[in-house]
Amino acid sequence: MILDAHGHLGPWPDFLIPDPSADGMVALMDRIGIDAIGVSHLLAVGPSAEEGNRLAFAAAERHPGRFGVWQVYHPHQRNRLTDQGVWGVKIHPDVHQCALDDRRYDPVWELGLPVLAHGQTDSPWSDPQQFVTVARRHPHVPLLLGHAGLWPYGFARAAELVREQPNLHLEICGSKMTGRWIARLVELAGAERVIYGSDSCFLDLRTGFGRVALAPLDDADRALVQGGNLARVLGAAGRVFGPVPEGDLS
Amino acid sequence: MPELIVDAHRLIGPVPFDDLPEDPLPEMGRLGIHRAHVTHTLSLYSDVRAGNEALLGLGDPRLVPVPVLLPETFEPVPDWDVPMVRLCPDRHRFELTGPTALRWLAALGVTAAVDFEETSPGQLITLARELPEQRVLLLNPGYRRLRVIAELMVAIPNLWLEIGTVNTQRGVEWLAGHFGAERLVFGTGAPVMDDCGPRFLLDHLDLPEADIALIASGGGLL
Repeated sequence: MILDAHGHLGPWPDFLIPDPSADGMVALMDRIGIDAIGVSHLLAVGPSAEEGNRLAFAAAERHPGRFGVWQVYHPHQRNRLTDQGVWGVKIHPDVHQCALDDRRYDPVWELGLPVLAHGQTDSPWSDPQQFVTVARRHPHVPLLLGHAGLWPYGFARAAELVREQPNLHLEICGSKMTGRWIARLVELAGAERVIYGSDSCFLDLRTGFGRVALAPLDDADRALVQGGNLARVLGAAGRVFGPVPEGDLS
Repeated sequence: MPELIVDAHRLIGPVPFDDLPEDPLPEMGRLGIHRAHVTHTLSLYSDVRAGNEALLGLGDPRLVPVPVLLPETFEPVPDWDVPMVRLCPDRHRFELTGPTALRWLAALGVTAAVDFEETSPGQLITLARELPEQRVLLLNPGYRRLRVIAELMVAIPNLWLEIGTVNTQRGVEWLAGHFGAERLVFGTGAPVMDDCGPRFLLDHLDLPEADIALIASGGGLL
């Protein structure tokens, strides 16, 4: 099973995304054989978590089994979260301008579901060291360090930090990632700690998946990165793949 | 899979910030890339002349030399027999549209490859106005400036685009729809940048096979 941990739907203000649609995403998933992708709507990552989350759930409902929802938590709007019918919670400390280890994110950790967070080496909001801090505070919350820290000069350090913390995982999407670096991350952190994500539709699904598909990895490690690890993380958390039951989220 | 795959943007040699393969051939073989246009890293990160000399001495038909052109006011124009040169106006601190660069490019009459991060839309438009026949390959255009890229592609008929970093959802199809596959060129920037993702994308573009083959072999440029 191929699972993409890091996806989005919808437009983003910084630049043109030619196809930000759910239908377009599913068409590309079918084209290259991806079973399911976890998505947050970019409206939710931006100014309106509640409305963006509603759009993500609606897309998941239209395409059963293809989208897992990462519901976004907005630490300033303090939107309600659900523990039903989602893969977990997505947070973006840099966009929210709220550090990952800020207590305003406590409702996220208290929910106990997997968390995917934007990670960015040397950012005051989401440096990998801050992931260690919250992973230690909440050892039963699986935490995905988004983009493995984003910048290549920080990849090795991110891998070292993840290795020491069992509930921390490297998620590998980003425009600076390479197939070569994915193989190195597997070597440094262990194959069971590296999780494929594409950042599609922000980035092209095919490019992100291709990095893993053609990375210099052996078949067993590739299978873990491409979906085995995420299935384990979601499975351990009792996640379901379908849409959230109607009326469960205000 | 296209019959001929040419990487228009590849490096050979060591880099100062990482331990990357210096020889591109093994990875090209693994990924089914038949030929690459290569620039020597010494020309980027050390001595331009030394890098170019090493590059021009390679003698491997799979590696097409792309020497770095550093316009020098008091030097003669190089007499290289190459299809493309690379210019680094930001890195090497010269004006892409200054009199020396324009004189050298006019004398050479070959394609000029320029990293988008090394220049500006204004400079590219000026270059096209000063040398309308000059063919330019824009390397590393990225995915965040498609609107600017589109304007440039309209304004400059002799501008081609390397697609390795055109990395937003269906960005390559969007460009092909507006400008045709003949204006798009497969390239990667490896090993500093990724070759696995762009190589996979090439095989899975939602375009007619003939268009993919054209992009894979260098668009209408190489």
